[in-house]
Amino acid sequence: MFDITTLTQAIVSGILMGAIYSLVSLGLTIIFGVVRIVNFAHGEFLMIGMYATYFLWARARIDPLIAILITGPLLFLIGAGIYKSLLRRVAAASDFSKIFLTVGISLVLQNIALLIFTANYWSVKTSYEKMVLSLWGISISYPRLIGFLGAVILSFLISLFLFRTDLGKAMRAVAQNREVAMLMGINPDRVYIIAVGLGSAVAGMTGTIIMPYFYVFPLVGVDFIVMCFAVAITGGLGNIKGTLLCGPIFGIAESLGILFIGADSGMIVTFLILILVLIFRPSGLLGEGRL
Amino acid sequence: MVFRIVIWERKLGGGSSLLLEVQNLSKRFGGLQAVNDLVFAAEEREILGLIGPNGAGKTTVFNLITGVYPPDSGAIRFQGKNIAGLKPYQTCINGICRTFQIAQPFREMTALKNVMTGAFLRTADVEEAKRKAEEVLDFVALGGKKDILAKELTAIDQRRLEVARALATDPRLLLLDETMAGLNSKECDEAVSLINKIRDKGITLIMVEHVVRVIMSLSKRIIVLDYGTKIAEGKAEDIRSNENVIKAYLGEEYRRAIRQ
Amino acid sequence: MKISVKSFTSPKGYVPLTFLIVLLFLPLFLPTYFLHVMITMLFFAFVGEAWNIIGGYAGQLSLGNAAFFGLGAYGAVLLTHYYNISPWIGGILIGGAAAIVLSLITGLACFRLSGPYFAISTLAIGEVMRLFFLNQRKITFGAEGVTVPYKGNSLLYLQFLSKAPYYYIALALMLLGMYITWKIEKSRLGHYLVAINQNQDAAEAVGVNSVRAKQIALSVSAFLTAIGGTFYAQYIYFIDPDFVFGLGLSIEFALIAIVGGVGTVMGPVIGSFLLRPAMEFTNAFLGATYMGVHLIVYGGLLIAVVMFKPEGLIGWMGGLYEWFLELLSGKEN
Repeated sequence: MFDITTLTQAIVSGILMGAIYSLVSLGLTIIFGVVRIVNFAHGEFLMIGMYATYFLWARARIDPLIAILITGPLLFLIGAGIYKSLLRRVAAASDFSKIFLTVGISLVLQNIALLIFTANYWSVKTSYEKMVLSLWGISISYPRLIGFLGAVILSFLISLFLFRTDLGKAMRAVAQNREVAMLMGINPDRVYIIAVGLGSAVAGMTGTIIMPYFYVFPLVGVDFIVMCFAVAITGGLGNIKGTLLCGPIFGIAESLGILFIGADSGMIVTFLILILVLIFRPSGLLGEGRL
Repeated sequence: MVFRIVIWERKLGGGSSLLLEVQNLSKRFGGLQAVNDLVFAAEEREILGLIGPNGAGKTTVFNLITGVYPPDSGAIRFQGKNIAGLKPYQTCINGICRTFQIAQPFREMTALKNVMTGAFLRTADVEEAKRKAEEVLDFVALGGKKDILAKELTAIDQRRLEVARALATDPRLLLLDETMAGLNSKECDEAVSLINKIRDKGITLIMVEHVVRVIMSLSKRIIVLDYGTKIAEGKAEDIRSNENVIKAYLGEEYRRAIRQ
Repeated sequence: MKISVKSFTSPKGYVPLTFLIVLLFLPLFLPTYFLHVMITMLFFAFVGEAWNIIGGYAGQLSLGNAAFFGLGAYGAVLLTHYYNISPWIGGILIGGAAAIVLSLITGLACFRLSGPYFAISTLAIGEVMRLFFLNQRKITFGAEGVTVPYKGNSLLYLQFLSKAPYYYIALALMLLGMYITWKIEKSRLGHYLVAINQNQDAAEAVGVNSVRAKQIALSVSAFLTAIGGTFYAQYIYFIDPDFVFGLGLSIEFALIAIVGGVGTVMGPVIGSFLLRPAMEFTNAFLGATYMGVHLIVYGGLLIAVVMFKPEGLIGWMGGLYEWFLELLSGKEN
């Protein structure tokens, strides 16, 4: 019943989606790696990115691929602003404060979106949305393919930033040993702001990338935050390589779950894997990381 | 008082018994052999000193005895019973309590409540625990500060609080981890007299210490560790002049210098 | 607690007593809508107390208590629907037992996890329950939800035609929650939970079996929350997985305790008595066009409390209350 083509199709779909999961989780893991805060509002940054993309398209006819140049900086500023005004206060406080502050931010953002944009589902239309690439019996929709490529390119650029540029190295230094980084003349507070800004920008840009094939609505972040937790924790919170590796793993697991079990089961598969990881290897496959 | 000099290999019946026996205890962390085939014993009512340079594995020994982690091999016998592998709360129920190198009080609780937490091990009754805690606080001379929050106590008082909390669990064996660090002369003397008071109550003590003059005066028997291995054991005077001990602490050059 | 007649002559005694008497007589003169608001206030105080035991005292931040709530709700409704079993048994006994079993599994799997990991794992468990009940529509009716079978006025089936009986049950539940919390706080378990919350390693070094203490706290919380779920089902007559197992509900349990005063007996009461009316009236004024506005207020309060007053509003309320008592005793002199 499940021939090799269907199976391959599922795996390919999983990888395409997995790159998206990797990218958005990358944002979460960067924020945790540097600032040690698990951002429960991360999905909402994605949501804001999606809404921004929608309006740039609806009002200014800006194609999502170009909109990324706007949503990236926009979300960077929003993230940095939220850090400066709110998160900074609890960066050194208890887990309780860190968790419930971001939970509160999530609540507020979700419902402001609900208030302003209503609960309707919106989407953008692109010139290529109906195009499909057919390869050896497998069909890949263009928006998804472009989304995949965008995610891969962005992930690559961010890794390049973190491992090759001075600022990126400064971030990793602060993540690994804040005191020593300070002795080397790095301003940790500034690095924290940039880390949160960057993490948020990544989430926002992911939102832009997926707009061509996803609907936006106020609670869209909730689905993604769960996947972010799953991917980031399984890879190892704060561990860049781990996150990049686990995105496709979860994408494929979700795909196969839908294929073999049923339409609703994607989420359940994700959760079960997450719970198993938390029970047997909470630090993640590659261990908790400092970027 | 007569102090017995004990070399445990020769101990066979008669006199005080061995409260704690550590046999061939080993623990490795990744590439580091933290404790290496350690053998020693503590007898009842003695104050046994455990010294050695930084990183010698002394706190690890405490962690192994109390069950913070299980040993890779070896046995730990307390009152004849093998306790290796028990969890920390279980070793405490059995009568072994320890203090931490850096005091770990319950910061948001009063001193009284801190000690009550220890007292609750032996009674579920709140009033009884409270009375016991007050008694112990008086014993360590913190009675007047019982209603002060732990985080507002001085570092020295926090350490005293830690000892009080441990005493409230009615231990037979108390493991003190660097209680004297950073104390001035007067504080040291107070601590020494408190420790003697504890021993007089019938509690056996093993003390990890860096403050050499204190440990030399308190303990009649001392064990020296270096890189997880026991390099010397015996009377204070003998330890002080033991070449291996000097080399471990001060390096080869000093040892040569002393020889000349 | 020694209570003598004398103790009621001072403000400290008669003020709470007056409150209690007022509460007892409210159904007689309060209009239906306001009575409904009161019922939700009392009820959420109760489930807030339940969360407080594990989240406030033990410091284990659960974002999945709705899992227990839903079990109590579905236990009550499904067992009445299929087997005509009273919700006292179906919901409280069986649903409650299921909740305790789930709490044991959760504890076994998750107590080793620190702060955010524990929170995320409870969130995951709550969501798994929600998705499971959504998925198994043949038994649970899935997303459509299920209605409580109509039994008229029946104590056996925990259904009443007027609001007053629900009110008194909710009041009893809140008082029960407060009482159990108070008892725990004063007991050895309570002291142990606070110790574990502040420094688990130090607690274990003085003989505290932290796993067992936390498990007891979680199981009590689970059972009480399940009772809450049963009450909710019987009061609202309709349940669906997205609500009773929802993350929003889990967050609200925590919110009520945190805003009011985490780790205190009165905290959830204060939180509920503040938040629920705020929500009702926000929704009333801004109407159906702006659903979810109250959640902005909730979220904002949570942020404000966490940032500026993490011990909760009980700090101010306590002071206000003391001042009020002083005023009254001053008046008498």
